[in-house]
Amino acid sequence: MKKLFLSVLFVVGLMFALTTFKGLATQGTYQSIVMDFREDLGAAQIQQQVQTIAKQFNVTPKPNSEFSQADNIYIVEGDKKLLSQLRKSESKYTEFIEPNYVYKALGTPNDPEYSKQWNLRSINVEPAWEDTKGSGTTVAVIDTGVTQVTDLKETKFVPGYDFVNDKVDASDDNGHGTHVAGTIAQSTNNDYGVAGVAYEANIMPLKVLSAEGGGTVADIAEAIRFAADNGADVINMSLGGGGESQAMQEAIDYAYHKGVVIIAAAGNSNEDSASYPARYPRVIGVSALDSSGEKAFYSSYGAGVDISAPGGSTKEGEAGGILQQTINPETNAEYFGAFQGTSMAAPHVAGVAALIKASGVKDPEAVTEVLQKSARVIKDDALNYYGAGHLDANAAVKLAGKGNISIRDFFRWLRDNGYLNPRFWFDGGAVALIPKLLMVIGSYLLAWFLRVYWPFTWSWAFSGGLVAGSSGLFFLRGFYLFDLPQWPLRLLGSSLPELGSAVQGTAVLNPIFASVLIPFALLALFIGHPQLKGLAIGTTIGVAACLAVSAFTSPQLLWIGGGSAAQAFLLVNAGLCLGLAYLNVKGEKYA
Amino acid sequence: MITVEGTVEHKAMGTGAWALVSDEGKTYELHKAPQDLKKSGLKVKVEGKVRDDVVTLAMIGPVLEVQSFNVLDDK
Repeated sequence: MKKLFLSVLFVVGLMFALTTFKGLATQGTYQSIVMDFREDLGAAQIQQQVQTIAKQFNVTPKPNSEFSQADNIYIVEGDKKLLSQLRKSESKYTEFIEPNYVYKALGTPNDPEYSKQWNLRSINVEPAWEDTKGSGTTVAVIDTGVTQVTDLKETKFVPGYDFVNDKVDASDDNGHGTHVAGTIAQSTNNDYGVAGVAYEANIMPLKVLSAEGGGTVADIAEAIRFAADNGADVINMSLGGGGESQAMQEAIDYAYHKGVVIIAAAGNSNEDSASYPARYPRVIGVSALDSSGEKAFYSSYGAGVDISAPGGSTKEGEAGGILQQTINPETNAEYFGAFQGTSMAAPHVAGVAALIKASGVKDPEAVTEVLQKSARVIKDDALNYYGAGHLDANAAVKLAGKGNISIRDFFRWLRDNGYLNPRFWFDGGAVALIPKLLMVIGSYLLAWFLRVYWPFTWSWAFSGGLVAGSSGLFFLRGFYLFDLPQWPLRLLGSSLPELGSAVQGTAVLNPIFASVLIPFALLALFIGHPQLKGLAIGTTIGVAACLAVSAFTSPQLLWIGGGSAAQAFLLVNAGLCLGLAYLNVKGEKYA
Repeated sequence: MITVEGTVEHKAMGTGAWALVSDEGKTYELHKAPQDLKKSGLKVKVEGKVRDDVVTLAMIGPVLEVQSFNVLDDK
């Protein structure tokens, strides 16, 4: 009876898994059907068949393209119903009949002009949005002010200030600041206009530049302090010039110590060394790239350049510029302007800094490190055109997320290891789900801990080792096949420490298997092998988790028995495994 | 106070800026330039002051605050 019940459960679980499996198929939609007629039919018979279909279903089958004739591939407009009808009536004439899926890149925003934003694709921001869009962070835009144009209507604003005219409303009378704010947080996925890098971040507009485009060092220093005192996480300064200033330096230090990341444009004079404020040590100076990834013709370089980002070039037309919505200061009318300048490059970095902060890395020094370590390095950059390299939003966000135990990270790990499969959950109940879960989570936490403090690369072998060591493919243990012995499945469904007793099918652990012995042997054997080493370390960590959990849930050992003796044995061996893994992972850091 | 001879140019950086490219090839950003000076290709002699305390969005070179200017004959 129990076997029957488990089999039914398994079948239900399997069906559920199959029907909910998100392969490519379920991601696509289709309005047409592809039919491939058998080649041996001959042209005349195919034509006849095509006409029959046309008459019978009232459709017009068409060759897919002029190249399709040779392959006899026809497209018919239709839905699921027609698909099944065709499959019934035409299967003997065709090699296959299948839905003509419409493929759409995932994560692409619906903003109609997004296709013109080569700059956002070049910083690889789409995959970064899967993790964060900058929600909860505030970016201060120290510029000509920001006007909340239509494509900034859904963007969140926090109160700013106009230091030029000394008033609270910091609207734009030049068009520069609005454009810069657009790169940082243009309303995105709003079916209008263009996209921004960190479009869920708040914008704090601070006006220090007049309509003509100039401002004083004193006003800028005040604006920096205002931003730091009013909760800004990032400051963007698409401005520069003048000499070194004590007032500005002090304001920058003040903001930096309050945890604000400060970013500034390198300057547009194509000179060796960036302009101030980009040149101050606590400011991230940004040089500009054109759409081919080369230094833009105008961009300054050398001392003070920390990283490079798209600033565009409109020398050969608007397509090479950075497109955002802004205002025409003479008419106050909104328009989409393609601009160039290091002014356009800096806000890309400011946006990514907001994404990094939203991922949990808060300290300005750490944010700078993430930006620089994640940048795509450019070789042979003798004149420091690019600083640490090309800005990479996705790499930055992934690197920033590494230090956190986030729910997202855990689920990604579960998915990558197959634990999100519904079959797992359905059968779990039959094989003591709770201790199994503890072993899986425990091995994840141990591995996470080691990964953060002793960075190493996760490989398939390593993950496989974790599973083998901690829990095995345990859902298999609830699986019974008629007339076949169950022990091979039980064996596959066991973790390494349980192997010693899996064949007999008892819950009592064999101390030879449930100890540090096998992990030690694995490591000794494979320590020199690049892939198998990962498997060995993963297994060691997994065994540590399994033994530790067993020590508290079912401390039963062959020959030793139960109780505190078994518990002590298991705990000591868990500790030894962990120490062994630690030593090997630590070694790998320098490898 | 300095005097610079050169050609007026409009530079498309950000929202744009007016520049004076000196005969020696150095680019100054014109600050507080009168409307009559803002003509591309104009050969001029500008008298003004380099402002170290002014920053701009164009960042194309030293900021030259215009005091006075003469249009030069283009011969």
